[in-house]
Amino acid sequence: MLRGLYTAASGMIAQQRRHDTVTNNIANLNTPGYKGTSSVNRAFPEMLIAAMGGKDSSAEGTIGKLNTGVFAEENLLGLLQGDMMETDRSQDLALISDILVDGSTFDASGKYVDADGNVSYQPQAFFTVRTADGEVRYTRNGSFQTTADGTLVSSEGMAVLGTNGQPINVRGSWDNVTVGSDGTLYDRTTNEPLGQQLYLTKVANPNLLIREGNGLFRYEGQPNGIEQVQAGDRVSIQQGFLERSNVDSAQSAVDLMAALRAYSANQQIVKFYDQSLQKAVNEVGKV
Amino acid sequence: MNNSMISAAASMGAMQQKLDILADNISNINTDGYKRKNAVFEDILTNIQPHEDSFLLEGRRSPLGFTQGWGARVVAQTLDMTQGPLKATGLETDVAIEGNALFEVRSGMTIDSERAFTRQGAFQLMPTENGNRILVTNSGYPVVASNGTTDTFVNVPEGYKLVIADDGTITATSPDNLDSQQLGSLKLVEVLKPELLQAVADNMYGVPIDVNAGDVVQTVTATPNRTDGVAIRQGSLEQSNVSLADEMADLVTVQRAYQLNARALTSADQMMQMATDLRG
Repeated sequence: MLRGLYTAASGMIAQQRRHDTVTNNIANLNTPGYKGTSSVNRAFPEMLIAAMGGKDSSAEGTIGKLNTGVFAEENLLGLLQGDMMETDRSQDLALISDILVDGSTFDASGKYVDADGNVSYQPQAFFTVRTADGEVRYTRNGSFQTTADGTLVSSEGMAVLGTNGQPINVRGSWDNVTVGSDGTLYDRTTNEPLGQQLYLTKVANPNLLIREGNGLFRYEGQPNGIEQVQAGDRVSIQQGFLERSNVDSAQSAVDLMAALRAYSANQQIVKFYDQSLQKAVNEVGKV
Repeated sequence: MNNSMISAAASMGAMQQKLDILADNISNINTDGYKRKNAVFEDILTNIQPHEDSFLLEGRRSPLGFTQGWGARVVAQTLDMTQGPLKATGLETDVAIEGNALFEVRSGMTIDSERAFTRQGAFQLMPTENGNRILVTNSGYPVVASNGTTDTFVNVPEGYKLVIADDGTITATSPDNLDSQQLGSLKLVEVLKPELLQAVADNMYGVPIDVNAGDVVQTVTATPNRTDGVAIRQGSLEQSNVSLADEMADLVTVQRAYQLNARALTSADQMMQMATDLRG
């Protein structure tokens, strides 16, 4: 039996998934608050192969271990901070998040490995929005709009929540509102607080967020893994700015090529197996 | 099934829309009172290919399921209401607004016609049957003034000079300066929610029928003495607030993103070709 035929086919599928992921990142090069993902591959479980007629579980009969393929296991979010882009629009809010955790120094990708090899990830801050069904979602896309009744909503029409659990509501013009770095709303002329503050959520392990599309994330972890951003956390809001997509176009172009070539290599292997089968069927078996 | 192809194609459509908006802005770089538009992108709904529980292997960092995105699309168009530069023209019928306000006009020649709003102050005096002249926009829509309680049109007697003060008060003065008539003051509205304004033809904005106009715009009086107040400048025109440098920078970004998407599409096509070539 030609095992490698299926191994190569699984490689093609995994590379296709990787290609899809990179394409989706490229598609969102201009999406504010977008966080790029990377697909992670995992080998199929190893199996032990033995020579035909060899003795079971003995040294001379065993050939070695073999993986019979690969699959795209997960699509990991890369939550690096995106660049700031000035828009001068009062309802455009950008979130800058660099949360510190005692005893951890995170690398550029937001990962920290301690002396015992335990991996932890940098917590991330998000705007909190409520869907029409009353469920809570998180987003980094701060390009907000206002409905006729003054409710601040995401581009998709989901209410942006304040610290009191109610949607942020500004009856007048947003040009008269300043948003402080902690999300508190002030009157622009008098500098008096308006009694509303944006609810910023801190997610301790951002890998537990699932992208839903429309810039939204759903949290799928323990409830104690999320909490409100505290005053000391290094999180700030910039009004009149948007956070750009954190996708690196050069890296994506390279990843795209790599995925294509790896796909091509796997395809070649399938063709070679096909040629072997061709020989076996049509030449070895020729009468 | 080729997801890359779908994502890339959908996003190229979105980029094209953004290009259209940029082209619209650039073509209106010399339109007085034009306010630039901007497109907001969002990623398209993501679906999750479910995994069975046995996929929860050691070393896995995210919850079960493989998320798959489907590109990007334009979800909203925003209006950038920032002030445009003022250009002095010296014409008495050219009026510019400084601050957050719009002129109110009517879409017909009666005062109870549909309300519309504009920032373009290149007005004209149009002769009427009774020998007066009425103040209209350069597309012929009458400009609304308010005499404190009711809305009126601005009727300037033939031969009289039109004087508009910084606070919007309109006076018509006779050529010999002996007679002057108070014609109310220009009606101005403050924009509360620019995203609910609908651009209609001739550089004007309207409020959609299903939205209460009071939620979108509110009458405001010019307060030229306050630093953040609204002031009227007769003899000037507000130019378009489009900055060519910004638009070109955006154009480059969008075009490159489009190019990269096209590359991804080609690459997806090559993959499909390879899959077909398996049995060549």
